[in-house]
Amino acid sequence: MAAFFKNLIRNKVMLFMVLPGAIWFFFFSYLPLVGTIVAFKQYRFNREGFWASISKSEWVGWDNFKFLFSTNDAYTITRNTLLYNLAFIILGLILSVAMAVLLSELVGKTMAKIYQTGMFLPYFLSWVIVGYFAFSFLSMDRGMINQILGWFGAEPVQWYSDPKYWPYILVFVSLWKSVGYNSVVYLASIMGIDKSLYEAAMIDGASKWQQIKNITIPMLSPIIIIMTLLAVGRIFYADFGLFYQVPRDSGTLYSVTNVIDTYVYRGLKTTGEIGMSTAAGLYQSVVGFVLVIVSNFVVRKIDKDSALF
Amino acid sequence: MAEVIQRKKRDFHHVSRGANAVLHTIAAIFSFLCVFPFLFVVIISLTDEKTLATDGYRLIPAKWSLEAYKFVFQSGDTLLRSYGVTILVTVVGTLVSLILISLYAYAISRKSFRYRRFFSVFAILTMLFNGGMIPTYMVVSQLLGLKDTLWALILPLAMNAFYIMILRTFYSTSVPEAIIESGRIDGAGDFYIFLRIVLPLSLPGLATIGLFSTLGYWNDWFNALLYIDNPNLVPLQSMLMRIESSIQFIQQNSANSSLSMAALQSIPQDTSRMAMVVLATLPIIFAYPFFQRYFVQGLTVGAVKE
Amino acid sequence: MSKGKKSFSFALAMLTAFALVLSACGGGNKDAEGSGSGSSGSSEKPVNLIWYTIGTPQKDVDKVMAEVSKYTQEKINATVTMKMIDWGDYQQKMQVNVASGEPMDIMFTSAGGFDYVQNARKGAFMELDDLLDKYGQGIKDTIDPAFLEGSKVDGHNYGIPANKELPQQEVWRFNQNLVDKYKLDTSNVRSLDSIEPLLKAIKEKEPNVTPFAMDKNYVPYIPYDYIIQNLPMAVKLDTTDYKIVDILETPEMKQALTTMHKYYQAGYVAPEAATTGSTSDLMTSGNWFMDRAQTQPLADNTWSASYGYPVKSTPASDAIITNTSVQGSIMAISANSEHPEKAMEFLNLLNTDPVLRNMVDSGIEGTHYKKVDDKHIENLPEGKNYDMPSYSLGNNMLLYLNPNDPDDKWEQFKKFNAEGKDSPILSFNFDSTKVATEMAAVQNVKEQFWASLMTGTVDPETYLPKAIAAFKQAGLDKVIAEAQTQLDAWKAANNNK
Repeated sequence: MAAFFKNLIRNKVMLFMVLPGAIWFFFFSYLPLVGTIVAFKQYRFNREGFWASISKSEWVGWDNFKFLFSTNDAYTITRNTLLYNLAFIILGLILSVAMAVLLSELVGKTMAKIYQTGMFLPYFLSWVIVGYFAFSFLSMDRGMINQILGWFGAEPVQWYSDPKYWPYILVFVSLWKSVGYNSVVYLASIMGIDKSLYEAAMIDGASKWQQIKNITIPMLSPIIIIMTLLAVGRIFYADFGLFYQVPRDSGTLYSVTNVIDTYVYRGLKTTGEIGMSTAAGLYQSVVGFVLVIVSNFVVRKIDKDSALF
Repeated sequence: MAEVIQRKKRDFHHVSRGANAVLHTIAAIFSFLCVFPFLFVVIISLTDEKTLATDGYRLIPAKWSLEAYKFVFQSGDTLLRSYGVTILVTVVGTLVSLILISLYAYAISRKSFRYRRFFSVFAILTMLFNGGMIPTYMVVSQLLGLKDTLWALILPLAMNAFYIMILRTFYSTSVPEAIIESGRIDGAGDFYIFLRIVLPLSLPGLATIGLFSTLGYWNDWFNALLYIDNPNLVPLQSMLMRIESSIQFIQQNSANSSLSMAALQSIPQDTSRMAMVVLATLPIIFAYPFFQRYFVQGLTVGAVKE
Repeated sequence: MSKGKKSFSFALAMLTAFALVLSACGGGNKDAEGSGSGSSGSSEKPVNLIWYTIGTPQKDVDKVMAEVSKYTQEKINATVTMKMIDWGDYQQKMQVNVASGEPMDIMFTSAGGFDYVQNARKGAFMELDDLLDKYGQGIKDTIDPAFLEGSKVDGHNYGIPANKELPQQEVWRFNQNLVDKYKLDTSNVRSLDSIEPLLKAIKEKEPNVTPFAMDKNYVPYIPYDYIIQNLPMAVKLDTTDYKIVDILETPEMKQALTTMHKYYQAGYVAPEAATTGSTSDLMTSGNWFMDRAQTQPLADNTWSASYGYPVKSTPASDAIITNTSVQGSIMAISANSEHPEKAMEFLNLLNTDPVLRNMVDSGIEGTHYKKVDDKHIENLPEGKNYDMPSYSLGNNMLLYLNPNDPDDKWEQFKKFNAEGKDSPILSFNFDSTKVATEMAAVQNVKEQFWASLMTGTVDPETYLPKAIAAFKQAGLDKVIAEAQTQLDAWKAANNNK
């Protein structure tokens, strides 16, 4: 015991350094973890405060989960979350890499810089602002797209109440926001590739296309794989802003815009059933956890240094 | 032969002229697509309200007008207050998170720290499993009592294990152990070494983390959605959400009560909304081109080593 | 081995440290609470009451409440903080505030916004029987007994209803400026179909005006009484068998929704109606032609005064006394209130003291309004910074009159109240605890379909069957069956009386 305190004292400066952060983790990460037990309770607020509310709420076992899985909701939100993220990952990867290669081949570096700066813009905008942008195109009576449709004599489309368009709209908006940023990141890696490789290929008479296929892409593959696996690890978590702001919280669209995160939030707001919403959140955390572990395991196999842990 | 090589060499550096034109076109179109919505919103905000009602959102409106901006500036203290909230939260938040993250990351990067494994795991675990939105909401609002305070906008975003890992990697790659050792031999304390030797050497890393953090605070609306009811504490992004349903949010919270009923009836509602969007975006538009490279570094600095 | 042990003991020490920090935190809160409640009992320190109410937040609320607090501190040694939450957000925000235990003493509740009966059952409100006897004698003397009786849940009072109009009557409101401009005839209007020629005329002549204003909470009127406001379970008003039906399956609703969709497609309804939280922008700008609202005697004067231009209305339904109307405006005391006695004293004062009631309603004399004579007042320009809904703030019959109101306004109210017809299920309160999970699922389905169907945004041909199926899947039939059982039992008990 004495040795233990001695160690504490010897490390006091370092301990002092981690202390603020550790307290933060404790309150904002570990306490909420304890709070997830309300997923097994019928939560009722108690005036004694936080702890009393949790401990005095009635246990209901798996009822909250039964509720989640008894309706179609669990299926819908899981499907939406997974499929959208899958589409974002695959299409995002193809487009970003293609754009990065394209940028690297451009002659005229000043223009290339200007293009890059333009492409980078969406990354810096909040989803609220992107939501306004989308509205200026999709508004039923004023939006640009319906006006263009009008020129061709087509009927205006009720964008915000017709679910069938939204899978495409959401994928488009998501790619619009992320491809520019990702391609610039890939471009940075392409710039790091040893030039002598290309020179050797050129001497062998390789065409431009062959150079891309046989040098650029293979040299990029570690970072591609790692970025992709990181994204796969997060596949159970949706981008709340995209799914909440861009469709303007329109009820008719829920079948294609509701993801786990928005479902949890709406559960809290419409029914006030904290236990049920927490159950949905816990379901996400558990499955998400498994996916992170698996994908990290795979990253480790490929490149030990890139693994998170 | 030499000539052939010469030509091939040019081939290696340059795609053919025709292909180059095609590539330029593609890149230019994509780049334009990324910027276009913003330009469109600027145009809408400069359109005459009546024209808007009859023609819809047009690229070249029949009638231009500055009314929207006049209105926004007339009842400007709402916009200013929201700007103030956002700037305050962003500055304080970035500082707080830089302090927390850099200290924590440094401690767990030091081999001499006996409990570094414990605290590394303590941080990493939070990346793997989280309590989710609702338990966090309960802790912040009930236990910590932060609802309707600026801290509710600052603290939840202050730490992030991912940034800690990035910075830890940065310390261990760009601050040579020998320098720290020599500092120690000179009799400097851990804290002194951190402040005087480590921090200056890791400025690029800190800048990257700091800018990510700044962007996160500036664009945050989610915490305001959860925790802020008081109209005086509403940050910019959240204000944009509120005026979506009613532009009167601006005027209700304006100290300028000289607006008469008649003036209220002629508020250019739609264009004012877009004017607010433009005004909220401008600082970013002006700032980001200068900081681009740090954001590119962000992912490459820690997660991926070349 | 020893390393593992050490790091374990270290983890233990960390935990202890955090537990200390935490208990210090909790303790801090306790102390604050303790001193707060202690002062209410013994010392002279005034108690501060936190009051949540519905309506677009007004700029001068704090200013007026400072005046109100001066007055109440003198009378009952309490001060008041008012928090307003906008119409469209009230239900949801209060749901979260109550579930998460935001400090509050008094809150507005009603059948429509932040459901009174359901939340009383959930334990959100304090049971008031004893407090009413002790501190609420004034309330009992002034408020129409039909209100106090009609707001009982399982035989207990959980809130103080506002003394106001008792029946609920829907009207079409018209922006009279436009009616006059185009010399339109509104006298023959009543049904949803009958408004079509008017909408058409306005759409043609005033393309910038929204002909039929509504927000996402709009529901077309059909002669049914809802078991729970805005959930699809209802009983026909002229029922004989007391059968609860899914309102979406009734021919009347189908008809109404088809008409709404026709209006929507014709452009009479704002394209984004189903996601619109508030029509206040339209009301301020006057860029609307008509909408639907609930009326009370002389409501036109009130509306005209508050908007600053003439508004006139014609009936769209009979005047029916329903649970919704009886429970249309209630002020409850939070189950978590630290000062329930003071809160009740305040409510008693609010419902009996004209000075306080008018201050809360109209603001500060000379700033927000001026007196015309001892009964009538007129809004001053500053009045728009404190434009409050009268119905939600307690006893209406103490209020000053609008400039055009006749002196016998409140007599007219009493007459209106006496003439209202009772709904067949008046004072039946459904207890949904047995079907709580189904109710939550039904709520979720409602969020998805309700607004877009009711505003006519989507075609009922395709969406109505979808909605009906989704509600069934969520367990609506089970909820209806449970409600039917309770209703049958209630009916049997009431007939025996």
